Amino acid sequence: MTGLAQRQPSQPVRWALPAGRAGFATLVAFYAVLVALCLATLVAAGDLSFGRNPWDNLLKTVGDLARPSFLDVWFGPERLAYRSDDGTLLRVENRREVEANFLAALGRATWVTFQIATLGSLLAALMALPLAMLAARSLRAPRPMAWAAKVVLDASRAVHTLVFGLILVGIVGLGPMAGVLAIALHSVGTYGKLFAESIESLDMAAVDAVRATGAGEAQVFFHGVWPSVLPQFVSHHLYVWEFNVRDSTILGLIGAGGLGLLISEAVSLFQWSRLATLLIVVVALVMAFDALSRRIREALL
Amino acid sequence: MRAAVCLKDVQVVVGNRVLLDVPRLAIEPGERVAIVGPNGAGKSTLLKVIGALVQARQGRVEVLGRSLGPGDEAADRRALRRDTGLLMQGLHLVPRLSARENVLIGALARLRGAQALRSWCRWYPQNLIAEADAALMALGLGDRGGMRADRLSGGERQKVALARLQLQRPRLLLADEPTSALDPAATRAVCRALCAVAAAPGRTLLTVVHDLELLPLLATRVIGMAEGRVRWDRPLGEVTPSLLQALYERHAADVTRAAPSEPVAMFRLANARTPA
Repeated sequence: MTGLAQRQPSQPVRWALPAGRAGFATLVAFYAVLVALCLATLVAAGDLSFGRNPWDNLLKTVGDLARPSFLDVWFGPERLAYRSDDGTLLRVENRREVEANFLAALGRATWVTFQIATLGSLLAALMALPLAMLAARSLRAPRPMAWAAKVVLDASRAVHTLVFGLILVGIVGLGPMAGVLAIALHSVGTYGKLFAESIESLDMAAVDAVRATGAGEAQVFFHGVWPSVLPQFVSHHLYVWEFNVRDSTILGLIGAGGLGLLISEAVSLFQWSRLATLLIVVVALVMAFDALSRRIREALL
Repeated sequence: MRAAVCLKDVQVVVGNRVLLDVPRLAIEPGERVAIVGPNGAGKSTLLKVIGALVQARQGRVEVLGRSLGPGDEAADRRALRRDTGLLMQGLHLVPRLSARENVLIGALARLRGAQALRSWCRWYPQNLIAEADAALMALGLGDRGGMRADRLSGGERQKVALARLQLQRPRLLLADEPTSALDPAATRAVCRALCAVAAAPGRTLLTVVHDLELLPLLATRVIGMAEGRVRWDRPLGEVTPSLLQALYERHAADVTRAAPSEPVAMFRLANARTPA
């Protein structure tokens, strides 16, 4: 009775889902309708097809992928003759040498990819720090500035790295620099959100305790804030960096250098065996970095 | 000598509820005062007003010769914080620093010049580190110095906070239920340490006590509070079970309708054991 009476008549009744199980059922129903709608439009447009002979294509591709090109460095033919249809010798190729050269190029491209991820992440982290301080609610920055920082962070998160890359290639030209900037611009949003969250989760009771001893503001910062926030910042940095290593492997597709360039080459020339080599390298790189960063992050917590 | 704490016509009002209404209260330097009373009596609020954590809407608050108010200089406020030691629930250890580093935080305000700058990198003078270790050792935490504060138990944390106070060397100590959630052995140890910190001449100790058994340990003067007002203010020897009972009775009747409340019974026991 009293609960009902307390509702103030001036307050508009806000639209809300019914509470509890009924609410969840409504949500599920909405979701089902949405999925049905997507499927129906796909079928209506005649796009629900897997091509003319998907099985043959699949088997052929898998067969090529199963024999990665780097094996040729040791097992390939030393004299591979290319002949025209009437039997004239067109070209003789030493497969071992060709693939060894490709491996060297692959090594350089891997380093460029790593370079893009590393420099891009660092740049993004540095740009995100002041924005996160503005956006963190607990620090109570002036309203308009906090709002502006939040808009910048959200916008940067909303635009995909590839889109940033396409724009930047037009501005700074082809090459790794466009990749670095693209990674940086997109990651600022992620960093900003993570940093702001760790600032908000700071134990203010501990900060108050340091201040209560009569310590100066700088001392309060270096004893109350810094020790709690730094490990989290480092952990977030490693996490986003790891993510960017993955992201930068495709940046080459748009001409921003690195492994992606080789991938797009291999795909356009139907060199599936080379693509297999490239994928192995990508997976190995990402897994190695994942494992390393997870170790470090676990040690920090 | 000037009073350590002097309140005149102080009122703290939140909404339309009077949390604290103290027409006059003076505490002399070197006194050991305990505040008792039921929940919601305004004990913690009184302590927070004196510790400058809560600002009184009305009246004059003078602490250690400085009057608290909106016109304070930042430097004054810092000097006062340095001289006022707080032991409260809302003040934690810094979780990621070691116990020793947490203790050393107490000495930060004492550092000057290059030493203060070096403290930014948590680089402290040797004599301070020795002092911190000695403080920990005295509280039975000699082997815990290098342990991170968030790995310590509740009682150990409370002791570390006490060691921090010891390094701060405050002239006025404000402790809000310093022994809540501690086992009996730890309670005794913390009380003893609290008295040791306040033992130096001229140091004043003001404690909010729930466990009336501890009164003889912590206080020579007892203030009974209820509903935001000081009901009585006596030397420890003149505090009788019936006075305490009157203080808690109303509350007990309101909340549980229970007959003689437990704290009073415990006080009787304690007085029987330790003649005050």
